[in-house]
Amino acid sequence: MDRVRRLKLILWMLLGLAAAVAITRFFFGLGATTHLSDATPWGLWVGFDVMGGVALAAGGFVVTATVYIFKLDEFHSIVRPAVLTAFLGYVAVAVGLLFDLGLPWHIWYMTIYWNPHSPLFEVGWCVMLYLTVLTLEFFPVPAEDISALASVRRFLVKLRIPLVIVGIALSTLHQSSLGSLFLIMPYRLFPLWYSPILPVLFFVSAIGLGLMMVILESHFTAYLYRRKPETKLMRPLGEAAGWVLILYLALRFGDLAYRGQLHYLFASAWQVKLFWVEIAAMAIVPLVMLWQRQFRKSSNWQWATAAIATTGIVLNRIDVGGLADLSRGGSLYLPEWTEIVISLGIVAAATLLFLFMVEHFRVWEHRPADPDADPRKLPEFNKVGFTWLGTPVIAGRVKYSLAFVLAAGFGFLLLGSPRAASMGATPTPTHRARGNVGNIGLQLAAARTGKPAPATAGTGVLYLDADLTNWGVTFYHQREIDRNGGEKSCVICHHMNMPHDQESGCYECHRDMYLPTDSFRHDWHASPKGANLACVQCHERGYPRTSAHVKPCSDCHKDLVPAGATIKITTYIAPSYVDAMHTLCIGCHVKVAQKENKPEIARCAECHKGKLNFAAAQNYLYSRHAPAGRLVVLPPPKVSEVH
Amino acid sequence: MRAAILTDTTKCIGCSECVIACKKVNHLPNDIPQRWDMNDGLSADNWTSVIGEPADKFVRKQCRHCLEPACVSACPVGAMHKTELGPVIYESAKCIGCRYCMMACPFGIPRYQWSDPVPHVRKCILCYDRIKEGGQPACTEVCPTKATIYGDRDQLLAIAHQRLRENPGKYINRVWGESEVGGTSVLYISDIDLSFLTYGEQFGKMPLPDATRPAMEAVPFAFVGMGAAMAGLYWIIKRRMKLEAERADEKAGGKPGSEE
Repeated sequence: MDRVRRLKLILWMLLGLAAAVAITRFFFGLGATTHLSDATPWGLWVGFDVMGGVALAAGGFVVTATVYIFKLDEFHSIVRPAVLTAFLGYVAVAVGLLFDLGLPWHIWYMTIYWNPHSPLFEVGWCVMLYLTVLTLEFFPVPAEDISALASVRRFLVKLRIPLVIVGIALSTLHQSSLGSLFLIMPYRLFPLWYSPILPVLFFVSAIGLGLMMVILESHFTAYLYRRKPETKLMRPLGEAAGWVLILYLALRFGDLAYRGQLHYLFASAWQVKLFWVEIAAMAIVPLVMLWQRQFRKSSNWQWATAAIATTGIVLNRIDVGGLADLSRGGSLYLPEWTEIVISLGIVAAATLLFLFMVEHFRVWEHRPADPDADPRKLPEFNKVGFTWLGTPVIAGRVKYSLAFVLAAGFGFLLLGSPRAASMGATPTPTHRARGNVGNIGLQLAAARTGKPAPATAGTGVLYLDADLTNWGVTFYHQREIDRNGGEKSCVICHHMNMPHDQESGCYECHRDMYLPTDSFRHDWHASPKGANLACVQCHERGYPRTSAHVKPCSDCHKDLVPAGATIKITTYIAPSYVDAMHTLCIGCHVKVAQKENKPEIARCAECHKGKLNFAAAQNYLYSRHAPAGRLVVLPPPKVSEVH
Repeated sequence: MRAAILTDTTKCIGCSECVIACKKVNHLPNDIPQRWDMNDGLSADNWTSVIGEPADKFVRKQCRHCLEPACVSACPVGAMHKTELGPVIYESAKCIGCRYCMMACPFGIPRYQWSDPVPHVRKCILCYDRIKEGGQPACTEVCPTKATIYGDRDQLLAIAHQRLRENPGKYINRVWGESEVGGTSVLYISDIDLSFLTYGEQFGKMPLPDATRPAMEAVPFAFVGMGAAMAGLYWIIKRRMKLEAERADEKAGGKPGSEE
């Protein structure tokens, strides 16, 4: 059982990590935990958890059909594990769906609001019904040991054949309907994947995957519990899967040829490489391996074949589910680690449940016995921790809990708060104003006395383009001083200028330029590398250490607000860059527009030169046109030109 | 009447009054550039945008309000639906958040509130509340150059064709939205190619819901057919095995075999 315990420890760790991500997902939304975007609204959770999960669980209906309909009784021993895998697979799909849906608590709305035109509606219903069927199919197994449930069990066993038939019919529907989901996206899905017979392709590959999954699961659990591998039993299953895969290949390439899309196979798009990797993994390599002599005898060989095939078919689902269309949407989707962790966590939970079922009920002919689980066995002494951990079962529980909690803590550590709190705002690179501003004091003195300014006074002409989009304005400093009422007006624009800094760039406070920021850097003040202040040097003793009981900044920074300033500092929250710029510029523009009767200069387009969706539109245009010819509203002035 | 909008890109000066008006009427907050934005200026807080494509040409992007919308056919709970009047509207109370509408839309219009723990889909609803009461959408109302106008779809089509006829050479001889994917309520005439408003494909005339229809219509038949086939196979195989068992027993001279 050492292998089982080790595996369980890893699974509990994964579950802990996933728990941290799950909490973040439900509190902060999909944006904080996924890499999904408006261009690729479906990602790994749909591709792997839902579509892959349903396909992986296809073993249930394939094996029940084999045994109960086709009466191939030699496979009777694998019915129970196959149905259990299918049942847990569908539970995992449902749980995965809860993570992916934006409003998971509305999932039951599908039962009251109907839209029968939608393939997703049909998939939803089939999955609900099939999950019920699987529950009824599997229920007799755990009910075996409970005498009170004997009558229910007998009834369900009598009902078995109708249940199996309904289960097969339902599986046919939703396995294929998962393909129908994508029929509506001919312009989105890459032509190598889009096909009117997608439903058929999905159904056929699901049968192949179901068979391969049964092989994989049988060998994996045999390794885990040191049972005898069912190599002989698995061989015909593998061969059947081989024929299914040949049929699949014929359908897929036949369809491509029939619709005249074969030329895409040699196109240079990277999706073509993806297509070949997928086809190789899901069909070609497994088929070649199936034909080898080793497949008859070697359990490892069978295991490897099944592993490659399942990977390939799941990759196919992920490709159709979003990977293959990403170039069309215009953005690159690669799953965030958090998405992968949730997917792994769901698989881990399903595996743990499987192991629990196998250990506690008669899923196999013989329940695997844990030689260490004898309660009379003496507790072991842990040589590393110098502790008595009780019997191995208890010790296992302690270890699993510890693994879970530690992994959850580690998960929260990795997640951090800034990502969740940033709400997806893209930090924009910022830059100081460029140009020859020179010494403002000398300029002012020159203006006061009427004498020509010395060369070091500079020109006072700036090029402002803080977000580096190459959309900027030339800024005549002197003109703004005159307009705003002379020397005392500095603080109108240099609104919260940092001490000893006469020309702080906007970005020095507005670090994330589209969100309000806190201009007071508490961490810097407390850090030994910064101001190195003790708490009590600012916060009053004996009071809560909040902003309500703190010295005003001006106690230390005497020159924070220059004498004669027109603004008063009431809060340290700086408005966003957008808000700051709008307040500073728009007021004047509106005034002049009224005074001079020039309504156009107060329009947004006056500054946003038609690139109206603000920075987003600007970034868009910039990204489109940057290499060929830069679109610059006003080119940055060269120093020589200004002189 | 079938409500529609005709946008003439040659008349657009790019002032973006429509964007501002849309924001005001629909109470949309300022939008900040976010990681999940597409590069077209639309977002959950911005239902129409003016794209400067190529330089010095302006094209307004908004929901096309297809005559046979893919999003409506895709939505499993019917949260998206096409009104009699023309607009495709969204009932947030029904939405389950599956985002299938976003996948299905050939124009990539619906946007999601990714940062919200209770997210909804957002898109232009053609100011349904206003036009229901006989008004017109905010964007067409404020347009200073009448580049984008509101009216009955048939009349607007007539206007569009009239302009194409009267100004030969000024426009590309085509009304965008007249017949692609079954026709849309938002029409364009333009002097530049507008295929960038979609995924860069030239659309066929087939409405996208028709692509799923055969598969969905086959569903009851597939269910009943598969069920019947399995039941039949079960019966045949069982009977054959019974007969074989009987035959084997006769040969052996024993009693008829019994089922398990």
